[in-house]
Parts: sequence; structure tokens; C-alpha cells
Amino acid sequence: MKSIVADLHIHTCLSPCGELTMSPRRIVEEAVRRGIAWIAVADHNTASMVDAVAAAAAEAKIEFLFGMELQTREEVHLLAYFDTSDACHRFADAIYPLLPDRENEPAYFGDQVCVDLDETIVGTEPKLLVNSLDLGFEQAMDRVREYGGLPVPAHVDRETFGLLAQLGFVPEGATFDVVETTSGRLPEGFGGAAAICSSDAHTPEDIGRRTTRFVVDACTIQEMVLAARGVGGRSMACCWDRGRTT
Amino acid sequence: MNLSQIVERLSLEPIVEPNEPNAEVTGGFCGDLLSHVLAAARSGDLWITIQHHTNVVAVAQVAGLSAIIIAHGRRPDDATVSRAREGGIALLASPEPAFEIAGRLHQLLSAPA
Repeated sequence: MKSIVADLHIHTCLSPCGELTMSPRRIVEEAVRRGIAWIAVADHNTASMVDAVAAAAAEAKIEFLFGMELQTREEVHLLAYFDTSDACHRFADAIYPLLPDRENEPAYFGDQVCVDLDETIVGTEPKLLVNSLDLGFEQAMDRVREYGGLPVPAHVDRETFGLLAQLGFVPEGATFDVVETTSGRLPEGFGGAAAICSSDAHTPEDIGRRTTRFVVDACTIQEMVLAARGVGGRSMACCWDRGRTT
Repeated sequence: MNLSQIVERLSLEPIVEPNEPNAEVTGGFCGDLLSHVLAAARSGDLWITIQHHTNVVAVAQVAGLSAIIIAHGRRPDDATVSRAREGGIALLASPEPAFEIAGRLHQLLSAPA
């Protein structure tokens, strides 16, 4: 069992709202500098940058989880975590056709570029990524699980793009293992779930502004679920505003 | 009917003044899902919404909307206001619910000139 500080919601330069400075090595450097030893990338509706950041994390010998931040038809943001690059890409490929064909206009929304480890631009995403998939929230939850992933509603207590603000309630019958909050406190209606905090960083400075300390056997989604349930001495505790803890 | 006339007739508070107050408003659009507005609003529409985060400005620019009415007493934050200023998108606030604003706007736009 090990105790590890994680920031599992970081955008890269590929997200139009993410700064161009959010390159793989820069993200990892900032994380390491702040004592974070487990990160996940979660770009909007795409997994095209996960491998480059995974490679940078491997160089620095920190843990990595493959993630995406989906935007559902109701404009709810839903994180999807996968243990392997393959699983993440299979899922990303499956949902790409559900993203509208509207082109990104970088002048208004921002650039959507993929870079490699050396910050060379290796591609651009033509479709606007901050758009809604043709997939309802509960369908999206099911789809993530179908592909072997862990669905985690993002910043549920935030006014913009959070589950509670967008829907007004937690859908009846929906079950959650892990829920991301900005306050560390789980709002009503998520019975049985455990809260995590992550930065939702779009700039290097914001990395680690919120984190979660996990006590787990390994850095996998299954261990995260076991920690949420407090099985076998595993645990998770939120840390927000750089230091205040639950 | 032009934008400045509508601002006056609907008692809208210009948080960011229109760049072209004499621009003709051709129609209106109600919507709080940005993806829906992107897909369905027509260029020149006056957009009525309760959303007020920074992305509304980008959506208005891309969709070519004439201005944004932020309904029901919601207030944009500083980042949204500065982004609207930079982008030349008027932000107009109203305490009225969207239904009331849309009804009155529809009457104004369909009245004989």
C-alpha cells in the first residue's frame, strides 16, 4: 500500500481553452515540482494527447491514468478514466463520430494542437472539441463502463458544466463510485460515492491547485473504486486551495 | 428595428455597449445549451440566455449573433465582460425571465415599421 498525491484532471494544449504552454513535459514538470506523483490528462472529447503525456510521465517516473472529459448532450462534463492507452483510444474512436462536424475557429475558441515530447506540433484537431456529443449523460456513463472505463462526473458542484447545475438533480438510478468536486464535499444525491478533487488546470500555474491523496495498492481505476469504498485500508482524501484538507 | 432601439424599448442594461448600435436586428434566439445555439441560431439573431460564462462570447462571435441578452438577473463575471469588450459583442442584462423578454422582442420585431 502506498500514499500518493494525485491530480487527475489536467488539460493539454489540445483543449482549445488550454494554454499552448500545456505541453507534455511542462505538465509533468509542474506536477513533480508540487509533489504530485499521479496525473491524468482529460482533454475535451479527445484522447489524442494522452500518449505523449504518458511518455513524459514515464520519463519522470510518475504514475499516469488515461482520461478524457466528455461533454454530454445536456452539456454535463463527465470524466472517463482508462488504465490503458488502447482502451482509452478504443473509446475515443467510438465517440468521435458523435461529436458535431462543426469546425473549430481558433480565433474565437483557441488552438487545438497536438504536440510531441519536444513540443513540436504534430497535428491539429479540425472539429470543435468544446461541443456536445450526441449522447445523453446516462448513456455516456454506460458507454464508458462498456469500454472498461471509470466514469466520474466532473466538478459536480460548479455552476458551469457541472451535473447539478445542468440537470438540477442527480438522475434516479444512476450509480457512482467516484465524483469530482471543487470543494471536497459531496453534495446530496451521490449516496455511496466518494469525492475526489482535481485541478481542472488549463494553465501550468493551476496544476495541483486541487488534489486528492490516495492510499492504494496501485494506480488503477479498480484501486480507485476500492479506495472510494474504503476496502482493505485504502482511502482517498481531498485537498483543495493548495493545502486545506478534508 | 435596430439594436439601440431594442435596448431602450426592453429596458436592457448595456454591460458592454454595442459596437454598432444601429445594426438591424433580424431575429431572436433563446437557448441555454451552447452546442444548440452553435448548431441552430441564425446570423444576426439577438440571443437570449441565462448563461454568462466566457464561452458565450465565443459562441456569439462564431454564430454571428448581434448581441447577448443575459436574462433573469444573472450577471456576467469580469472575464466574460472583458472578453466581450475585446470581441466587440454587446452584453445586455435584464432582470426579466427569458420568456418575457422573448415575447416582447417578438412583438417589437413583428410590428409594422
